[in-house]
Amino acid sequence: MDRDLLRQCLTHHGESLFNTLQCEQTENPDFQAVASDLAKATYERRGAGEGCSLVEQFIARKADILFCPTWRTAVPREDELEDEEATEPYAIMPPAELFMEVPFEERRAMLYRDLERGDAVVGRINNIREYGFFLTLLCAAGGLRRDIEDLELSALCHIKEIPSTGSHDDPLSYYQIGDLIRGGVKDLDRYQEKITVSLLPASLCPRLAHIKLGVVAREELPKHYSRGLRVANDTRETYERILRGCHGYHNPSVVEYLLGRAGVSDDRPPSLMRGLQSKHFHEEDFATVIRKKQSASWALKCVRSGVDHFKHGRHVEAMNEYNKALEIDTNNVEALVARGALYANKGGMMKAISDFELGLETCPDHRNAKKYLCQTLVERGKQLQEQEKFVTAEGLYRRALSLDDSYPEAQAALRRITDTIQKSIRLREEATAKETEKAKSGKTSAQKLRKILKDEKRMKKKRKRSSSSSSSSSSSSERPSLSPTSTTSSRRRSKKRRRKRGGSERGSQRRRRRSSKRSEEEEEEEEYPAPPNTSASFLYRQGFLGSGAGRGEGGEEGGEEEEEVVVDDRRISQLYSLSAASEDEGSEPRGGDGEGRRGRSFSSHGKGGRRRSRRGSSSESSAAREQGKARRRSGEGRRRSRGRSREEGRSSEEGRGRSREEGRRRSRGRSSEEGRSRGRSREEGRRRSRGRSSEEGRSSEEGRSSEEGRGRSREEGRRRSRGRSREEGRSSEEGRGRSREEGRSRGRSREDGRRRSTDEGRRRRKASPSSVESQRSRKSTVAAERPPACRRSSSGSLGQPAPPPAAPPPAAPRRTSLDGGRSQSRPGRGAELRGGEGPRAPPPSTSTSSSNGQGGVARPPQPAGGGAGKKGLPANLMDIFNKIAKFEKEKGAGPRK
Amino acid sequence: MEDPSSRTAHDGPPGQVARGGSDSETDVTREIKTHFRVCRFIMESGVKLGMRSVPVATACELYHRFFECVSLRVYEPYLVAMSCVYLAGKVEEQHLRTRDIINVSHRYFHNASAPLECDREFWELRDSVVQCELLILRQLDFHVSFRHPHKYLLHYLMSVKALVNRHAWTRTPVAETAWALLRDCYHGVMCIHHAPQHIAIATLYLALNSYGVEMPVGEREWWQVLCEDVTKEDINAVISDLLQLYDMEAKCV
Repeated sequence: MDRDLLRQCLTHHGESLFNTLQCEQTENPDFQAVASDLAKATYERRGAGEGCSLVEQFIARKADILFCPTWRTAVPREDELEDEEATEPYAIMPPAELFMEVPFEERRAMLYRDLERGDAVVGRINNIREYGFFLTLLCAAGGLRRDIEDLELSALCHIKEIPSTGSHDDPLSYYQIGDLIRGGVKDLDRYQEKITVSLLPASLCPRLAHIKLGVVAREELPKHYSRGLRVANDTRETYERILRGCHGYHNPSVVEYLLGRAGVSDDRPPSLMRGLQSKHFHEEDFATVIRKKQSASWALKCVRSGVDHFKHGRHVEAMNEYNKALEIDTNNVEALVARGALYANKGGMMKAISDFELGLETCPDHRNAKKYLCQTLVERGKQLQEQEKFVTAEGLYRRALSLDDSYPEAQAALRRITDTIQKSIRLREEATAKETEKAKSGKTSAQKLRKILKDEKRMKKKRKRSSSSSSSSSSSSERPSLSPTSTTSSRRRSKKRRRKRGGSERGSQRRRRRSSKRSEEEEEEEEYPAPPNTSASFLYRQGFLGSGAGRGEGGEEGGEEEEEVVVDDRRISQLYSLSAASEDEGSEPRGGDGEGRRGRSFSSHGKGGRRRSRRGSSSESSAAREQGKARRRSGEGRRRSRGRSREEGRSSEEGRGRSREEGRRRSRGRSSEEGRSRGRSREEGRRRSRGRSSEEGRSSEEGRSSEEGRGRSREEGRRRSRGRSREEGRSSEEGRGRSREEGRSRGRSREDGRRRSTDEGRRRRKASPSSVESQRSRKSTVAAERPPACRRSSSGSLGQPAPPPAAPPPAAPRRTSLDGGRSQSRPGRGAELRGGEGPRAPPPSTSTSSSNGQGGVARPPQPAGGGAGKKGLPANLMDIFNKIAKFEKEKGAGPRK
Repeated sequence: MEDPSSRTAHDGPPGQVARGGSDSETDVTREIKTHFRVCRFIMESGVKLGMRSVPVATACELYHRFFECVSLRVYEPYLVAMSCVYLAGKVEEQHLRTRDIINVSHRYFHNASAPLECDREFWELRDSVVQCELLILRQLDFHVSFRHPHKYLLHYLMSVKALVNRHAWTRTPVAETAWALLRDCYHGVMCIHHAPQHIAIATLYLALNSYGVEMPVGEREWWQVLCEDVTKEDINAVISDLLQLYDMEAKCV
């Protein structure tokens, strides 16, 4: 029992209470302990009243509760004073003594009793001396709510207590008589009745430290003071009227707030009733506990009936029961285990595993869950092993062993798989060795091809010169760097970089000018209307690129050079946009896919993609046109350039943007088909990627596709794609050989990569993506694997392109044909991408650009019919192209292994 | 009422006899005792359900007002109490699930029993609670929103606190005591018969008095200031009603 409290109470009530207490609390040892102490003092009865005897009896009876030290349930909360002033969560009332009309002397005594060092007060300056100024206190600003205005309290603020403003002026010069000053009580002499205040923040107690000291405006005065003024001026104002008029009084949660301030707990509410003491409440009687128990038992009932169904072979009913059980009680172990067993029975190993693991999470020692999980893991491992996913399978075995290290099946399986893995590693090494040999032999043919292409280019350039359109100033300025005379690859590279940077800057500026809403494609189209002779311009660009990169060296540079360039390109691309670079890795295994991804990502990340594409279209295209003839010379140059530089991508864009040739369309169609076929084979990967990416907005579709690629590429996907790609490459090369719209076709192939992953969101984007993709693909060759997360994030970050301009009528029929094989979500997109290009020839080959292990080299199957015919490439070139493509593929694939 | 809950209610919690008793007791005192027990049931359930003080007060007031109009013989009080709790949760924006209410009540009547199964009995109980809620609503003419003393009491506490030395105040658990007194007063019908301000002032007065806290004396008493129309007699009336309830506890339990 709290002796001081009891004494205070006895002092108030007098002797009679003590006697009653002794009667009522005879059996309370706590009271007996303090009784003798309390008995020594004599108490005079002060307050006398009729009800007193009853009250005293009540106090005496409840004394063990009232004076129990634990009766105080919580510590009152005193912070948030500032908030209270501003938001008034409860009615801030004027001091009650204002209404009570407490005599002056008593109030003054009360103030000197209750005011403390560290309180904040507000006063008006009434006198300024050289050693400080004097305040007449108006009100207390924190810690105390009293009516003190008329108490004629004077406080001194010494000059030392005024913070200097940094200049050498007299700090007092800032203060005038009549200013309202908020200060902290620095010292208090209760006997001499002297108060000193300070304007230094340190003078306030920590709880009030947020209060700003110094001059205050009238509006800043505390609410209780301003309301008190109202009372003083209007005698009709009553406490209740002000209370009801206060904003805070109507706060719906004022009770909760004030309970918190008073420190009363409403969860374990106090009561003076014996039967309501919180010690009588048992935890298991509370609603939440009962409900939990009940849910578990209800769920168990469902599980039981589910097991019954299961035993009788009614699996659907059993599953329904399990699901119901889990609905009633999520994480019910029995239900999870039962459902997992059912899944495992039905072959859904992954679902089964996740159920078992969830069950083990909530109940780590559940025997059946552990046992079943082990079995299922091994089962799943075997499945994976059959699919040649050795590493994953191995992981599953290990996990099974970690749960139960004596599980013989898992041990055996693990042993077996380790052997297999080692074997396969050996085999792979051998294969790589072989491939490198092949690559060496392939070099010569590649060189030959390059020469032939060069000649071809030269011819083309001549043809073009007459048709080339006027070049933009930007392109002309860039021209010198593009000139074919450059001899060393390094020089060329650096120039390219410069060029690109310039382009990017330009692009970004343009972008800034334009409304962000518009899609990049639209922009491009607007700015670079398609010239009549698209295919030619496209070729020029490529040629020009080729000349920039590879012409000087001629054929000698070979594949390595290409790779270097690619690396270089990549670096640059990273400079421009990290996200774009990140995309590369995903694409690596299969050129086509990779390209597609990249292109997407570029276009999608507003800056990187846009910049590049714009650049390509504007400056390079014009430049390309002018120099077209020169470029035409070498076909190899083209190819190389593709591999090396993104400009090709750009050029391809232009091509697209300017002219919608059937060749392109055809190639697209093809690519789409391939996409389909591929898509099927990689369904898994896609699914995964889709699931992941679905949340990312439309912009992330590209991300999705790239992810697919990734998913696929890892493990077997890679291997498969390589094999596939080689074949595809061969077939597609004819197309290439014939037509010089390789860039375009590439773009398309990329597109199909995109398409594979397609979403409707993509639809919006139009022509540009292909070019961008091509850039991507190039990068992809070099790409190192980066965590998928970064790629995804990059794609996610892209601004959303505006809806594409309506597709021209011819596109519609096309759409259906293209999308037929694919998921329905795609159609719109593919069609729109191609929109306005008119009907395309059916895809001649199923192969894709993906075939090229190296993105740069990889080229989608060229539009065989139209493109080839137009450009008039010799038929025999096709063979050479094929060889080169193959070689490049292998090259690209080799190192990756 | 032909409700399953009436069955359970008759069993009563241990130590509580729902009806009956010696013949010497008048009907009135018997009814008061029943009401006291049922209100105790409401308050205990409120704590177990995690209800705040104001919804519990509303539930009690709903109960008292309902039985002001109808006879205790006609309606099963515990079922009405359950419905009052449910309705109060809605009125005071602290929605409670009937399932929880039934569970807590079931355990209250069948001490330490297993929770109810999800069977016919449970659904019948649930139906009767919901039906009874409609009955209460109609009986009270849909006047189910009340002004409670809680808000007043807390504001009064803030004002009174400013009159007292802060150290003396933190040493003295006036707030807890006043809050406990206020909650306890809902055991009886005083919440209907007294104005909320009066109840708030009376509980605060009693709490201050219990600890012998000295208040400054002016032309007017502090309680006169807080509520214009309250008199010393009012306060004493509330206090005596309240103290009777505490005496009742010994008789009822």
